[in-house]
Amino acid sequence: VVDQIRLWQLENERMKTTGGFLFRDFDDHKEYLDTSKFAEEIGVLVWRSDKTGMFFANKHEQIRDYLKSRKRAE
Amino acid sequence: MPRAIRGVLIECDPSIKSIIVNIDSDNHEFIIEDLDDERVVVKENMVPLLKQKLEDVCLLLSLVALHAPWGL
Repeated sequence: VVDQIRLWQLENERMKTTGGFLFRDFDDHKEYLDTSKFAEEIGVLVWRSDKTGMFFANKHEQIRDYLKSRKRAE
Repeated sequence: MPRAIRGVLIECDPSIKSIIVNIDSDNHEFIIEDLDDERVVVKENMVPLLKQKLEDVCLLLSLVALHAPWGL
């Protein structure tokens, strides 16, 4: 049993958790691309999927401001 | 209108991820978004309970494997 538990502990260590925010429901693909690019540039992007148009960031304040300024510019 | 949903991104082996999906299937109280084979976003406040449940399942699986007639 001890070996099995050790095996599971190894698995558990392979599980990575990151707190943050999932960004989704973009109006169009360009808005998703531009915003995820911005998130990457400021170093808060954790994961992205061009296929589903969603990304995960560990902070949201600057992205929120970026989205607001985008809307204003429209 | 884009939305930002607070949560915890879990990145793990597909085997562990499938157990998480299975745990969630009872009441759907953990998962916010199923991203891919190795990633899932869960509710922040549910992470400790999810980890507890995962440990329970894996301990159970270990015991089953130990006593399985076909061995491991």
